[in-house]
Amino acid sequence: MNALQGLRPEKLRELVLLLLIVAVLVFFSSMIENYLNARLFNRVSASVALMAVLAIGQTMVVLTRNIDLSVGSIVGFTAYFVGQQLSQNNEMHPVLAIVMAVGVGALMGGINGVLVAYCRIPSIIVTLGTMALYRTLLVEYSDAQTVLTVNLPRWLLNLPSLNVFSIDRLHLRVMVLGMIAVVVLFQILLRYTSFGRKLYAIGSNPEAARMAGFANQRIVLSAFLLCGALAGLTGFMFLARFGNITVVAGIGFELKSVAAVVVGGVNIFGGSGSVVGAFLGAALIDLLENSLIRWLQISEFWRDALLGLLILTSVATDSVIMKRFQGYWARKQAQAVPETQER
Amino acid sequence: MNSTVPPILEVQGLSKRFDMTQALRDVSLQLHPGEIHALVGENGAGKSTLIKILTGIQGADEGEMRLAGNPVRLANSQEAQAQGVAAIYQEPMVFPDLDVAENIFISHRNRGAWVRWGKMYEDAEKILSDLGMNLDVRAPASGLTLASQQAVEIAKAISLNVKVLIMDEPTASLSNHEVEQLFKVARKLQQENVAVLFISHRLDEVFEIADRITVLRDGQHISTRPVAEVTRESLIQEMVGREVDQFYASRQARQRGKRLLSVRNLGREATFSGIQFDLHEGEVLGFAGLVGSRRTDVGLALFGIQPADSGTIELEGQTVTLTNPRIAQKLGLAYMTEDRRKLGLAMPLSITSNITLPALGRYLAGLGFIRTDQERQTAEEYKSRLQIKAPTLAHEVGKLSGGNQQKVMFSKWLNTQPKVFILDEPTRGIDVGAKAEVHAMVRELAEQGMAILCISSDLPEVLAMSDRILVMREGRQMGIVDGATATQESVMSLAMGESREAA
Repeated sequence: MNALQGLRPEKLRELVLLLLIVAVLVFFSSMIENYLNARLFNRVSASVALMAVLAIGQTMVVLTRNIDLSVGSIVGFTAYFVGQQLSQNNEMHPVLAIVMAVGVGALMGGINGVLVAYCRIPSIIVTLGTMALYRTLLVEYSDAQTVLTVNLPRWLLNLPSLNVFSIDRLHLRVMVLGMIAVVVLFQILLRYTSFGRKLYAIGSNPEAARMAGFANQRIVLSAFLLCGALAGLTGFMFLARFGNITVVAGIGFELKSVAAVVVGGVNIFGGSGSVVGAFLGAALIDLLENSLIRWLQISEFWRDALLGLLILTSVATDSVIMKRFQGYWARKQAQAVPETQER
Repeated sequence: MNSTVPPILEVQGLSKRFDMTQALRDVSLQLHPGEIHALVGENGAGKSTLIKILTGIQGADEGEMRLAGNPVRLANSQEAQAQGVAAIYQEPMVFPDLDVAENIFISHRNRGAWVRWGKMYEDAEKILSDLGMNLDVRAPASGLTLASQQAVEIAKAISLNVKVLIMDEPTASLSNHEVEQLFKVARKLQQENVAVLFISHRLDEVFEIADRITVLRDGQHISTRPVAEVTRESLIQEMVGREVDQFYASRQARQRGKRLLSVRNLGREATFSGIQFDLHEGEVLGFAGLVGSRRTDVGLALFGIQPADSGTIELEGQTVTLTNPRIAQKLGLAYMTEDRRKLGLAMPLSITSNITLPALGRYLAGLGFIRTDQERQTAEEYKSRLQIKAPTLAHEVGKLSGGNQQKVMFSKWLNTQPKVFILDEPTRGIDVGAKAEVHAMVRELAEQGMAILCISSDLPEVLAMSDRILVMREGRQMGIVDGATATQESVMSLAMGESREAA
């Protein structure tokens, strides 16, 4: 009984994602020779580090019944902007560089937030617009030049391969640790603070939230601001990982982040979902993508189709299987509590 | 009604089970052409489920249904309509952006591929005038009153040639005058041999309109009797399954405390004007009026949701400006909405989260962290105090019954510890038992010194609960009458427009 009570429907979602990840691993290790090795972990974890951070930002926004399509452009712009600054001034303190990336991202997210929350323009329109605007800003600013690895400071180039610890050839990179810290931090923020509660409340019933005395506009703005800040952080990680930054940096990240969020079980209509879910969603997508690349039986075009299928399936399970389970769970709960209050 | 006429609709042995509840158990019912048949029962008695099965929205687990003697299985409401069964609801389901005529003909399939606008308007006008209704067929439905939207729904059903019309609590949001109009239409349908199944929580209406009355309780059929064989007391007894000696507990004279709220000449452009009253500690001030009298708008203004733009509000001798709910709440006001779904509850969140939502600031441990143990404690308290029935406190509010949702909403605002509590239709759509509990709760709160402003369309309720009653009509204050001496007639005549100086 206790085990069952502990297993709430939301938790099940996360469990299913974990099982799916295991299933993918098992499947591909039978298909690809020498698949399950340290290199796979190192590679996938490095790319999940970026996408998970971005997906967590997207989660904030989606929880409030909004969407941010401009995150890819924010990633690109901050990566270029900070790269440019570092190229010109190799002596800049690493912390300052990170703060700069987060700050620029937050500013861009803040602009989205003001337009959505205070000018009452639908977020899909606002961010579709700023997606193009921020990208153009990057093109203008860069003058179509590229940030080159050779001009970047040493510490930045070493960052992606910097390990916290290693077990044999299995490395836990600093950037992965940073991502884990972000997951934990935002999971706590959403689950245990009043800010998090307010995000869920606004997403599930904005009018009721307003009646409860919440400053809805400010909270929605904060969600966009945080999303922008995390996109900025992703931009910095992008710069560290790839070094060479062109004007196309981060294109497609916006859709991938939305995909991770949806696969992770965050309700696209707002009000429910978790940071851990979004993280697992990002992990599953990246793992699948990485594995498919190495599976030579399947063409590049089918890769996208499979990812699309994954997104559709995960939303479909949400509306069918999860509903069933919730009903089952409610029944069990009802049986567990004898109806003593009934007259 | 002539019982020798074979029934137009007959169900036998219907059973339906949802996740954890047996919603219907072996229910049988017969409807004859040209009868108005009332269906009564507490919330959760299975009325809604029965209606959903009759209209094809849900299938039954067991049992059979016959239309004009032929067994039918309805897969959806489209099929039900094709077979001549249609329903109208408390909340009309019109398409707000379409006009009246388009709404009437929305589910017609035999009008050809092209819309012939002129003919459509003509036909719509004819249907409406046959029913004795006067509506602009070109007006968009969004601008109509609730009563007119219902009229549109009825017209739609009539245009489909229905033989059975189900009215699910059609009067819950209507004023007395509008109820009369609705009854006229119902009688007209009766003359045309339509069987009307009428569901209402208001027993007066049931006695006025029905030929026969069926009582459901806990998903079971209790009785079906001609109205002449039923009394109010016997009906209530059958509904609740226990003796109820008095429907409304008598109002006791209360000690009136110091003046808390003083409203002078309050108005809002194009909505209401000239509202003035005082409200004292321990006093219940009723707000009566027909639908469209803008009572709710006064409530929304007092809580700062749609702020007033003229007049003054004094709270404990201080002039205050209420421009948003946060300020109002801080000053000790609370407003419980009539619209649970839209303004009231965060349906996917837990009972606990909903109850503590407006007072979340009290549960913080610093850095914005919520003390979940204290939250749970509060929720436990209200659960036992208001007897909220739910498996656990983590249960989603959206999955509770209407009465229990109402209690959660009540708890939520009570937990802000207001000095002035504005209740908007506190007992709408909840059953007799829960109603009595809400009434007792309101009385108890007033005795503890809370000032209560109670907006209600249920006249007997307003009369029973209020110390004084403010009557509104079309946005204007018609007068304030003393609760002890007021009668339904005196309040109604004010609400209908016979102005009188404030008492």
